[in-house]
Amino acid sequence: MTDPDIGSLETEMNRGFLHILALALLEKDMYGYAMVKHIEGLGYKVEENTLYPLLRRLEKNGWITSKWDMTEDRPRKFYAITAEGRALRGSLLEVWKNQNRILDEITKENSNV
Amino acid sequence: MSDKLEAYLEEISHFLSGRAEREEILSEIRSHILEKAAEGPGEFTDAAVEKAIAAFGPARKVAEKYLDDRPIIAPAYKRYLFRYTTLLFALHSFLTVFAVVFKKDFILFPLVFMPRLGVIEALMYLPTAFLADLGIVTVVLYFITQSGKDVKLPWPKFAVDLDEVKPPTKSFWLSRIATAVGAVIMLAITDFALFLFAKHHTIFFVNLNWNDPRPLFTPDAGRRLSMIVIAMLATSTMALLAKLLTRSLLVDVVSNVISLALIGLLLRQPLDNLFAVESAERILPKIKFGIKFTLLFIALMITIDLIKNLVVLGRRKLAA
Repeated sequence: MTDPDIGSLETEMNRGFLHILALALLEKDMYGYAMVKHIEGLGYKVEENTLYPLLRRLEKNGWITSKWDMTEDRPRKFYAITAEGRALRGSLLEVWKNQNRILDEITKENSNV
Repeated sequence: MSDKLEAYLEEISHFLSGRAEREEILSEIRSHILEKAAEGPGEFTDAAVEKAIAAFGPARKVAEKYLDDRPIIAPAYKRYLFRYTTLLFALHSFLTVFAVVFKKDFILFPLVFMPRLGVIEALMYLPTAFLADLGIVTVVLYFITQSGKDVKLPWPKFAVDLDEVKPPTKSFWLSRIATAVGAVIMLAITDFALFLFAKHHTIFFVNLNWNDPRPLFTPDAGRRLSMIVIAMLATSTMALLAKLLTRSLLVDVVSNVISLALIGLLLRQPLDNLFAVESAERILPKIKFGIKFTLLFIALMITIDLIKNLVVLGRRKLAA
């Protein structure tokens, strides 16, 4: 049996994960490209053209803010998490931890069968 | 600054036309690509910009990520596209028949203007009417979808069967045998009609005395009417024979359309000086009405069958 193609399923899983990831990263103000590099440095690849629309949606909902910095050679747009964003991040992390716990327990149950 | 980058941003801008934050989005992308191009080894080059553009992805794909995923018609309303188009087209067809029979034009402002139509014009008009109905329903469902409200669209219970795609209930061979028997019977009737027509130039008789049959209609009218009826019989026979080879509903659709055209031809035939039998002339007005009514009733039944077949075909395409 060949390995199943998880491409589209992985994309679906990533959608939720990217929200938490972006909110977690923005505890410190960052610009888009720095976020991509940081995530890559942690061993995870994020599609560049996916990150910016996601940041825009987060900003539209008031979970992050953005500000252009024109002091450097090139203008950079810095993003920062808001109080509402922190609250959301906390709730999402709770959900994620609970999901992880459930999966761990089921995996343990399966290994005992 | 790289021309390639400006061309790329211009292309994205084209796909984002109408978005208020378009310039902001383009600035974000420009900033990202310049950061990435400047980061590589060596100097800031056009090649590095091109590489960064390639990594960011094709312009249309990038633009689509910024656009809402809201569909033109919400999945919950998709089935209503065919349901409502069917109802509207049925109403349109009825009004068309009405306009043909009563030879009048009328207006149901602002929805319908029905000009005075002949039978052939009506048959030409109906496909256009179908497309117009489909367009109207699409626009309404589009606005409902874009409103984002949970609108419960009504649909009468009696019409539920009309658009259900049911699996065939009869077994394959039973269905084929029934079709084959039907085809043989229709073939016999068509052959018999052809035999009568070849021998007497008509298939309509007053009596059944084969040695001296008396034609019902005058020779010219009898010949024309007989040819049309034989063509209708042949159409049904051919449809049944085709169904032995394929179960495609297209066979029924084609058969329905040809039958409607032939009924249209029948309705166009002048009813004056029709009968060869004198006694019939006295009750001619009633007979004329009876013939027209019967033909229109048959046309209505065929039209309903045609619409049903078209809806089922459409639903199968959607389900595929």
